Amino acid sequence: MLSAERTLRAVSLFFALAVGYAVYNGVSWVRFQQQTLSDVAAEERSRYETIGAQIPLLERGDSVAGVQPWTDPRFPQVAGGSLATRYAALPPAALASLAVGQSDLYPYYARVSTRTKQTFIVNDEIENPVNLMAGRFDLSFVVIYLYPLLILALAYNLVSAEREQGTLAILMSQPVRARRVMVIKILVRAVIVVSLALGFTLLAALVAGVPLLAPGSLPRLALWAGIVTLYGVFWFSVALAVNALGKSSATNAVILLGAWLAVVVLVPAVYNVVVTTVIPSPSRIEMTQALREGTNAAQARGEALLQKYYIDHPEMMPGGDADMENFAARSIAVQEEVERDMAPTLAGFDQRLVEQQALADRYRFVSPAIVTQAALYDVAGTGAGRYRHFQLLVDDYHTEWRSFFYPRIFAKDTLGVADYERLPRFEYREEPLPALMRRVIPGLGWLLVPTLAIGALGIAGLRRVSPAEG
Amino acid sequence: MVMRIARKELTEMSRDGRFRWSATIVFALLIASLAAGWRHHTDARQERDRAQQAMREMWLAQEAKNPHSAAHYGTWAFKPQTPLSYLDRGVNSFVGQAAYLEAHRQNEFRYRPAMDATAVARFGEWTAAAVLQLLLPLLIIVLTFTAFAGEREQGTLRQLASIGVSTRDLALGKGAGVAGALALLLVPAALLGSAALALASAGTADVLRLGLMVLGYLAYFAIFISISLVVSAHAPSARVALVALLGFWVLNTLVAPRAFSDIARRVHPTPSAFQFATAMGDDLRKGSDGHTPDARAEQLRQEMLAQYGVTTVDSLPVNFDAVRMQRSEEDANVVFDRHFGALYDSYQRQNSVHQMGALVAPFLAIRSLSMSLAGTDVEQHRAFATEAERYRRVLVKEMNDDMARNSRTGDWEYKAGPEVWAQVPDFEYVPPNTASLLRVQTASIVLLALWLAASLFELLTMGRIRLT
Repeated sequence: MLSAERTLRAVSLFFALAVGYAVYNGVSWVRFQQQTLSDVAAEERSRYETIGAQIPLLERGDSVAGVQPWTDPRFPQVAGGSLATRYAALPPAALASLAVGQSDLYPYYARVSTRTKQTFIVNDEIENPVNLMAGRFDLSFVVIYLYPLLILALAYNLVSAEREQGTLAILMSQPVRARRVMVIKILVRAVIVVSLALGFTLLAALVAGVPLLAPGSLPRLALWAGIVTLYGVFWFSVALAVNALGKSSATNAVILLGAWLAVVVLVPAVYNVVVTTVIPSPSRIEMTQALREGTNAAQARGEALLQKYYIDHPEMMPGGDADMENFAARSIAVQEEVERDMAPTLAGFDQRLVEQQALADRYRFVSPAIVTQAALYDVAGTGAGRYRHFQLLVDDYHTEWRSFFYPRIFAKDTLGVADYERLPRFEYREEPLPALMRRVIPGLGWLLVPTLAIGALGIAGLRRVSPAEG
Repeated sequence: MVMRIARKELTEMSRDGRFRWSATIVFALLIASLAAGWRHHTDARQERDRAQQAMREMWLAQEAKNPHSAAHYGTWAFKPQTPLSYLDRGVNSFVGQAAYLEAHRQNEFRYRPAMDATAVARFGEWTAAAVLQLLLPLLIIVLTFTAFAGEREQGTLRQLASIGVSTRDLALGKGAGVAGALALLLVPAALLGSAALALASAGTADVLRLGLMVLGYLAYFAIFISISLVVSAHAPSARVALVALLGFWVLNTLVAPRAFSDIARRVHPTPSAFQFATAMGDDLRKGSDGHTPDARAEQLRQEMLAQYGVTTVDSLPVNFDAVRMQRSEEDANVVFDRHFGALYDSYQRQNSVHQMGALVAPFLAIRSLSMSLAGTDVEQHRAFATEAERYRRVLVKEMNDDMARNSRTGDWEYKAGPEVWAQVPDFEYVPPNTASLLRVQTASIVLLALWLAASLFELLTMGRIRLT
């Protein structure tokens, strides 16, 4: 009992440190993103202030320093295409600091313009690729990888220790009571470990300033707690089942290590290979080649090439303002044609990604670690689901932006200060909670089922446990 | 004596279910990873070569147009697949695969493959390097944690000591036995790997690099064998030995990479993409040497009027607009070099921190060395990016120079044809030589050697150990 206490204390200390460090890391990353979003919002505000000061002067007929016809904010094609472009931002979710997930790979803001989506949708954050490869020391890492090891360290020798200490024979003299004692021992440890896990998480979150009372936080926190509890109980059930085999402590340790390795390292890696073999990731290189060949064909008349050239060298355009306005209308027509040409390739690309993600989701039950990862990322709002939601909102905003500007471009309108106040803004609307629950609740089921099955096997197996090594 | 012990160990192990099971699984995974890596590699390489060829053809097939338009049309550069990348994919999934080469802009590489994958991929890529770096040390631990501790618990350790077997001989013998068992796994796999390399018709440089990789991994395994044997000898029981070794494995393989990435990030932070772009934009507007583009254009105008002895740009025998655009390109290039150079330097400094982390975690040394020899580390991505950028500058300069030579100022109707496009050479990339790679990996190599020396020293100087 004494050495178990010592182990528990050491393990708890290590775990507390790991959780604390992990949450701190997550919070640093969230703060970085929030700072960036604040920077881009400030840039937009300052740009708008400048424009707001320039327009009255231009309307009066004064010439303003640095403003040429192709940088005149009163022209809708200039405003919508570059000068007045606005940012669509994805704020980190309330619990985003608990799991970095895919948030280090997906863009979290886009500068929307009237140009094609391809020009603003690729927006990689800067990070050393080696760091991306290694992954972050965040709470999801601690939960998925280290938490099971801690559990196994506390539970691997439950029965075998009794045997090795010689007390098992005494215990087994009353078999029914023995089984109950074992199960209670496991339950007690499970309660201690899960409470510690949740408690340390809560404490670290409070200290680090995770917004636990933000709207939508509490249900997500509850989901997080549910996932951590079920994942922990799963591992306890595995430890119970292995103990029921009646082997020595060292053998138990090797078997449980093998189980951990299989569930957390091997199966996910092999699963990834299988998924990407059945539905390979679509090739960006092929896409680039196809788009270029496609746009070549659409630009055979040379019009759009002219457009691209004049966009970069507007000072080269002959003819002045009138020509520029005609040119703007022609540019839109050509751009639409190119987009129509590109659409099938891009749609095919996107469709393949969706299919691959769906396949990966469908069979994720092959490993509780995969289930837990998907669930934790979803609850933290750093999984593919929330990013897809953001992409769709950006698409809608892009359409809205164009609907504001295209008519004005074709009508050769000029924009005044009043128009600028009516320019569409991007409002991020969080995914409704039911949508999130629909993704996460099945995950909880996928954790519960193997736990119950393995746990039942374990309890049944305890009946056959003998004081001699099996 | 040592060989007799080794042979006995090998025989026992080959009869042991523990070895049979774990070794078979590891072997199967190793072969599977070689096969999967090979297939992925050949597909990716063919596709990339095809696309690069297509880009060249599209460049040459441009219709007659103003050369500066052609510079805007530009071309794409696609990241090549090195022959050994099927063994170790390194950072390839986390760097962009393609860069658009056009006038006036140095574009970042875009389309990181990891973005087009699912979250499951973040568990780790299944390459031969992963099996060798993660699984093989575990196999070693499982095979050796009972080497001394198990014998002690069974009482055979005392028997061996009583017939005069020295600890040193025992250590060497058991080490050799484990090494022999591993060789049963690794030699066939290595042969397969080399055959694959030969199929890829790789150059001699790659054979050298494969050889160095093998040496590195052998050193890494030797370190683990020695550490496991030492821990097994000193631990009070087999159980404690196992837990201690597993703890080391977890810290070394799982925790250290993430922890040192964090440390490197804090010590040498990189800017956000927004800060980077803003700073570069500001510098471009201000001018690379404090002279704004407009001021530089005026300066150039004066220079050229003086040089040709005329009074208006229209009388120049060359196209002033083309010369001015080329001058502004060169000014911009100075700014690009400054900013991108600083960014890649930050990455390099971070990677040095990772290498220094090998002081506590030898995994970081072998990871770094393996990636570098396979050609899939950040430094070699930088080398390719630099070459692609150099090619972009050659392309743009050719176009601007042709426009300058063959048209007059204000003549935007001048069109060039395929003979001019063909003046730009094809993009050929020569990877850096092995010696330069190894220079960057000095810390990893030295630390790996130190770990090997220290662990072997500990193993061979164990002296008296507990026999009961």
